[in-house]
Amino acid sequence: MTSSQPVALPMDRRAFVQRFGLAFSFLLLMLALTLLSDRFLTAANLINILRQATINGIVSVGMTMVILTGGIDLSVGSVLALAVTVGASLMKQGQPVGLAVVAALGLGALLGMINGLMITKARIPPFIATLGMLTVARGLTLMYTQGQPITGLPASFRWIGTGVVGGIPVPILLTALVFLAGWVFLSRTRYGAYIYLLGDNPTAARLAGVPTERITVLVYAISGFCAALAGLILVARLDSAQPIIGQGYEFNAIAAVVVGGTSFAGGEGGLGGTLLGALLIETLNNGLNLLNVSPLWEQVVKGVVIALALLLYKAFSPPSR
Amino acid sequence: MNRSSNHAPQWGEFLRRNSTYVILLAIVLGFAVLAPEFLTVNNLLTVALQSTLVALAAIGMTLAIITGGIDLSVGSVAALSGALAAGLATRGGLGTYPGLLIGLMAGAGIGLLNAAMIVWGRIPPFVATLASMAIARGLTLVYTQGRPIAGLDRAFTFWGSESLLGVPMPVWVLLVVAVLVHLLLSQTALGLHIYAIGGGEETTRLAGVNVGVVKFCVYVISGATAALSGLILTARLWSAQPNIGVGLELDAIAAAVLGGSSLAGGVGGIPGTLAGAFIIGVLSNGLNLLEVPSYNQQVIKGLVFILAVMLDYFIKQRRAVRSGRVPSTG
Repeated sequence: MTSSQPVALPMDRRAFVQRFGLAFSFLLLMLALTLLSDRFLTAANLINILRQATINGIVSVGMTMVILTGGIDLSVGSVLALAVTVGASLMKQGQPVGLAVVAALGLGALLGMINGLMITKARIPPFIATLGMLTVARGLTLMYTQGQPITGLPASFRWIGTGVVGGIPVPILLTALVFLAGWVFLSRTRYGAYIYLLGDNPTAARLAGVPTERITVLVYAISGFCAALAGLILVARLDSAQPIIGQGYEFNAIAAVVVGGTSFAGGEGGLGGTLLGALLIETLNNGLNLLNVSPLWEQVVKGVVIALALLLYKAFSPPSR
Repeated sequence: MNRSSNHAPQWGEFLRRNSTYVILLAIVLGFAVLAPEFLTVNNLLTVALQSTLVALAAIGMTLAIITGGIDLSVGSVAALSGALAAGLATRGGLGTYPGLLIGLMAGAGIGLLNAAMIVWGRIPPFVATLASMAIARGLTLVYTQGRPIAGLDRAFTFWGSESLLGVPMPVWVLLVVAVLVHLLLSQTALGLHIYAIGGGEETTRLAGVNVGVVKFCVYVISGATAALSGLILTARLWSAQPNIGVGLELDAIAAAVLGGSSLAGGVGGIPGTLAGAFIIGVLSNGLNLLEVPSYNQQVIKGLVFILAVMLDYFIKQRRAVRSGRVPSTG
């Protein structure tokens, strides 16, 4: 679908701008906020930003892989909700915490697999298939909980969201682990290379012997798994599984991924950009907060940042198509 | 479109072309049997009224989808237009009709912004309209300070709550807009160009069509129909709520896709989209009459959506296999 990029030079310039342009903007923002507010550059505040970014960050890891294949996963918010309510109610029924966590993660991956099978076997476009899953999984969550929140979870589970190891909150450690594992998977394994190949040119990938259907099912399963993990951390922190938890998370994750420079056409981008994208959005929100800007402006700023980031990428990309 | 025949080979062709209407008819017949009060004039008017909000947004969405694009901003645009119109008409002191007009123009304005990002910025429609979805929702929150705006006068609420010749005003608005956009698509050069862009943008450009101008028209119309949806909802609620229209984009996309539009572009139409919106409206209404709990309704709607899309695909695939073509999967 994407035309070939014949010349090496513009590719390099684009790669340079995409990789370092974002990092440069991020540093500039940090510098500006440091000058504007003396509360910004404190350990407590920086850890606060990281902690705020964990939930969206983890969801974005799965979303990055899906978008790299040229797909999209609109169902992450609903999958997150169904997985955590089932996990939380297992805990309330007195099942061991470990079992409940594994069940929630497994359910997330299973729902993701169903997305992947709808796309590969029934040939439904990803947008439609995951839109259907968004509706069904949210409905199942509401049916299962009858609209009631589940609260009062065991302390050993809540450690996932509130614990601290070596001065660093557990959610931040988990997020770092997920990004690291995702990065190794994408850049150091054969399957990672397949994902890029599939996104770049599905037909060529199939002809080259890439198991395209298996890869597609796998990335959606990973996305469901990441959503469930993010949901567990969120519920452990709030000590409450609300049936409407996770609504709109798909758009936050997509925002982090595209601000991070992963192309919607597939095959181009990566987790380093996504991490910066998620941090940039969260740092901006934090900065606005410190500068006493009304939180009502958050959405406007988020939209403007998405638009500006994309315009910047386009301005430095060679005319393709 | 309405030429049906009992000859076996043409039956499949008829099904393929009219799968949306067949599904709608099947659902209507099903509810008519299960719930006696379903097939009454009053209830059908209620269904039409309930389907109007999604249908209006889906009309603009259909244009965007036919060009191979998408408009995720419709829900936020609906909220922004409703809030601006209500705010200017009441506390702004501009009066009802200038308020409504500015609300409508604000919707078209966000459409203009979308088109500028897509045409001049070369940003993919999905992310461009994702950005304006956040911006328009944010502006709505800033303008309303997150609080509802009440105190609308009768001239405003007339558009949501009154009837003319027994038909609710929102349904009249929908009819007029649907007919106009349908004529635009089927009878004008602009309509032809909209389909052409979806079929192949580069070819259309090479054929001498100003693709940018066509896209500007498409996204401005989409913004305007979304604004109408928001204005009508505001009039029906007797107040502007800052959080209306959340998820409207997904319902509108579902209506267009159920109506036979392909996200790959080039295919779709207003009659199909209306039928798609009515499938969603009839399902809600019928399941309510059958006293199905609202939580279960959402699951059923999602499953019907997936099944309808799969059915559509299988009908088209069988047809394509028979004629030796392999369908592309957008």
